[in-house]
Amino acid sequence: MAKDVKPTRKNLMAIEDRIELSERGHDTLEQKRDGLIMEFMDILDKAQDVRGGMEEDYQTAQKKINMARAMEGDVTVRGAAAALKEHPEITTESNNIMGVVVPQIESSKVKKSLDERGYGVLGTSARIDEAAEAYEDLLESIILAAEVETAMKKMLKEIETTKRRVNALEFKLLPELYNNQEYIEQKLEEQEREEIFRLKKIKDKKEAEEKAEEEAAREAEAEAAETVDAD
Amino acid sequence: MSSAQGANPEYVNARIRARRAKLFDDEDYRKLVRMGPSEISRYMEESEYEAEMNALGSRHSGVDLIEYSLNRNLAENFEDILDWAGGGLYEQIASYLRKFDAWNVKTVLRGVYSGASRDEVASDLIRAGEFDDRFLERLLDAQSIEGVVELLDGTIFERGMEAAFPEYEETDVLVPLENAADRAFYENLIAELGDYEPDSALALYAGFLKAEIDFRNARNALRLARSGADLDPAEYYIAGGDLFSEGQLSSLVSSTSELVSVIRDSEYGDELGQALAELEDADSLIGFERALDAALQEYADHLSHVHPLSVTPVLSYIIAKEREVNNIRAIARGREAGLSEDEIEKELVTI
Repeated sequence: MAKDVKPTRKNLMAIEDRIELSERGHDTLEQKRDGLIMEFMDILDKAQDVRGGMEEDYQTAQKKINMARAMEGDVTVRGAAAALKEHPEITTESNNIMGVVVPQIESSKVKKSLDERGYGVLGTSARIDEAAEAYEDLLESIILAAEVETAMKKMLKEIETTKRRVNALEFKLLPELYNNQEYIEQKLEEQEREEIFRLKKIKDKKEAEEKAEEEAAREAEAEAAETVDAD
Repeated sequence: MSSAQGANPEYVNARIRARRAKLFDDEDYRKLVRMGPSEISRYMEESEYEAEMNALGSRHSGVDLIEYSLNRNLAENFEDILDWAGGGLYEQIASYLRKFDAWNVKTVLRGVYSGASRDEVASDLIRAGEFDDRFLERLLDAQSIEGVVELLDGTIFERGMEAAFPEYEETDVLVPLENAADRAFYENLIAELGDYEPDSALALYAGFLKAEIDFRNARNALRLARSGADLDPAEYYIAGGDLFSEGQLSSLVSSTSELVSVIRDSEYGDELGQALAELEDADSLIGFERALDAALQEYADHLSHVHPLSVTPVLSYIIAKEREVNNIRAIARGREAGLSEDEIEKELVTI
């Protein structure tokens, strides 16, 4: 990667800007990740309670329906269930937790009074009422669990994404930028050193030439003096 | 036989005694409670239920086969009783067995309402009432709730259904029609009694019917009181009992404790005392309902000994047979659902 970068001062400045931006982004994302984890832990506690409650409601509802089926008969229970056409209604709204959009589920017509369940009261028994009531409770628990567990899953996904981004910055992008910066700095220093060396060489060459010229001039003068003496 | 012939309680009661002797006793229940569903099926195949188990074995299986066989056996037993009885006795028995007509009306209404298939609805009918097969087939063919209500013209359900139909149309809920069917059955039962001498067999029979209505009102009042919903108690009241008047019931529904104390101070207080005490502590009505069923059975048994040559032994048998069917079904369904022997035994109503 570092080999692909042109070791110019302009690139160095651009890389330094990117490093600054990435470091800032890394810190922000780290804070976001920690915040999300804290929110997630709260939701996790709630989800565990809700799931525990739901399992309890499920056991109760199963027991009540088994009792109703045993004592009143499957035909009676099925008949009572068939007397209800209206379904519970569910509306979803969204809630924002640290930038994560989680659903907020509102339910209506889940809990029903005796006259809303459809079956006649005069010919049925409390066993049917209790089974219906237990299933209404279970349905409410399921709706709450759906809300909390969806929020939990979305938070978890966001934590994963943020963690990946933090790691990408920390272990990939920033090291690469640091490498590039170091490479360019080294290259620039090397170029500087070469330039100094080259200038030095030129200077030495020039000095040698001047010296040679001086030498030649001195020799010429000496020769001329000898010629004059000989004459 | 039919109502055109003379009443024949001696003959009917002799036949009834024979049938009653064949009912499952405590020992049978003890055995059944320890069996699995398939063992229960096998046991039933070797009992009074053999014919029904074999006839329905190709259509149903498992506990469903047991339940449908029990229902068919019940219907055939009651049909036999109507065949044996004549005159006023026939009228009295037929009048009581109209509870199955009410059941069938509600089943057909629910089937039409929920869009269930004709076969499904037909298999849930209990053909033990006054409606004959042809009439039940016409009910099953009805395409709409209005069609069912129209078909009921000329039956005891006509008036109640017609009165409740506008409310059904307004609310699109079956409650008014179902309540009308049950109310028509009970009110017709009392209306058909006519005048009777005090201390006569008919008076005792009337006392039993009133007790049944009182118990039904008591359990429904407690259900309304427990539900806490703002419902009009008058809509859930069955006239004909001695325990509550309509106005009394309306004022008592708001307080469970007052309701319990009224029942405790009534003539049923002794039989239901223990169940009422448990009811005050428990948050479930099931124990109380079980006590009501047992008390009714006990009352019917007592009446059958007081006036053996009347409708009361037949009534006692009808209730005992229904109890047997309920108990066997409870054991089979309970075993299927994995309930323990103790849990099932607690739920059984045995005298």
